[in-house]
Amino acid sequence: MAYIEANGLTKIFTVRKKREKGHLMREKQQITALDNVSFRVEEGELVGYIGPNGAGKSTTVKLLSGILTPSAGTACVNGLVPWENRKQHVRDIGVVFGQRSQLWWDVPIADSFALLRDIYRIPLSSYTRRLEELTDALQLESLLRTPLRQLSLGQRMRAELCGSLLHNPKLLFLDEPTIGLDAVSKLALRDFLRHENKENGTTILLTTHDMEDIAALCSRVMVLGHGKKLFDGALNDLLARYDTSRIVFVRYDGIVTLPSLPEQCTLEQDGDGYRIVYEPAQVPTSVLLSSLQAAGPIRELTAQAQSIDHLIAKMYREMDL
Amino acid sequence: MSSYFSVFRMRWKMELQYRGAVIGGVICQIFFGLILICLYRALYAGKPQTMPLDSVVTYVWLQQAFFRMLLSSDSELTDKIRTGAIAYDLCRPLHLYGYYYARIMAQKLLGSLLRAAPMLVFACLLPRGYGISAPVSVPAFLCAVLSLMSGLLCVCALENLTMGFTMRTLDARGMQALMNLLMMTLSGNVLPLTLFPDSWQRVITLLPYAQLLDSPIRLYTGRYAWTQASQIIFLQAVWLVILIALGLLLWRANQKRLVVQGG
Repeated sequence: MAYIEANGLTKIFTVRKKREKGHLMREKQQITALDNVSFRVEEGELVGYIGPNGAGKSTTVKLLSGILTPSAGTACVNGLVPWENRKQHVRDIGVVFGQRSQLWWDVPIADSFALLRDIYRIPLSSYTRRLEELTDALQLESLLRTPLRQLSLGQRMRAELCGSLLHNPKLLFLDEPTIGLDAVSKLALRDFLRHENKENGTTILLTTHDMEDIAALCSRVMVLGHGKKLFDGALNDLLARYDTSRIVFVRYDGIVTLPSLPEQCTLEQDGDGYRIVYEPAQVPTSVLLSSLQAAGPIRELTAQAQSIDHLIAKMYREMDL
Repeated sequence: MSSYFSVFRMRWKMELQYRGAVIGGVICQIFFGLILICLYRALYAGKPQTMPLDSVVTYVWLQQAFFRMLLSSDSELTDKIRTGAIAYDLCRPLHLYGYYYARIMAQKLLGSLLRAAPMLVFACLLPRGYGISAPVSVPAFLCAVLSLMSGLLCVCALENLTMGFTMRTLDARGMQALMNLLMMTLSGNVLPLTLFPDSWQRVITLLPYAQLLDSPIRLYTGRYAWTQASQIIFLQAVWLVILIALGLLLWRANQKRLVVQGG
């Protein structure tokens, strides 16, 4: 049996709205945050979970971590129904909500960690070993005696992650863990997650808007939009579907007349050069190049693939999200 | 149990971080105590009451010293509910009610002990008629301490009930204002319950609010004989069971219809 099995998960929230006119009355509205979503995740997988804002990603995480009860559907994590066997289920999971804090604001983070040790009843010897391992990987040794309120956002995020992993969870939910991290911390965090996944076999479900995170870590992605699952498979397959255009940037010696190009290409001026977007399937690259060369002596030419963010934006547009 | 005790210890540690607040609280409560005592002295000068003045003064000092126990004030918990940070507490292998109960108890116990100790020392140094009197007897004192502890258990259950309502209303202010009003009036903080008309007292002393501080103080001043202590503690225990049961019911109902705020 798969480690996580979700069948037809549905969550409907009732939202109260102020009417535009008449300040006394409120309207109730039903919002379907999650609409009949099913998937399976095997033990040891590292799955990316993406979708635009409000797609229902966090709701899924909250259902699977036993915080919320679904309106319909079933889920089973390691043989347990999260919202029915909450206390037993949460012993083996770790959760990081990127925009919230689990550590105590006014006390040194080491004290918060010690509290988590007691809450999860981690034996002292394995706790010491694990803490050392985590503080090493997340570069936290020097911060252990600092109260949380004095840490920077990135430092805090690393401390939060450490807190969620102290009890060696078999399953880790990461809800936007790289919010606000600088490039160095982000890279370190990715290395760390890869290591956790490989060495400890931790199953990880990663929710993020940072496509670089997904590209660096996840072989499998699930795309969610308007509460429905739209795609589930390899990241490369997903990208191949939308990664159809290429970009060429060209700069000429001296002033030249605008190159005349096949009409399927879009051309725009960018500084003292031109940016051309084309689809190799429609306009062969050799044809494009010869028409560019015909316009004058080329000083510089760079070709690039569409950024992954552009692709995802295109995908969201085409999926009408 | 040990996990809940760790939560308690942690909140205790946190309370120690706010030493400035303790000093401020002590000064404020001493000020209030002195004003109230002057007020009662003026009242007694005009029209002596059945209760001796010394007892009223003692009552006022004890009420002021343990004021912190009554006031609901863990804003961090209500903020957690309002902003949705409660999500983290829900993914711990703990019973949430017990978790919050332990936190509230630590704050109330340490918060009031830190304030009570210097205040009671101060009140001992004041001249007779202004200062606190000694307990009527050693057994009376011990019974008072015991009933203060079971009163503390009641007040924590009461506050946890407020937390339960906050999960529904999301804003604790209304509920807390109501609770504080009932608490201050019916626990004898505004006016010693011993000064209420006798017919009122018969009802008020049965309410949970009177179990918190009024009963222990009456044992201390000898208004209740210490041999009655078992009855008082029994009444407190009954309230404790009722309040915890109500709290658990409310929390269980909440957990089913929970919505986490703020995405």
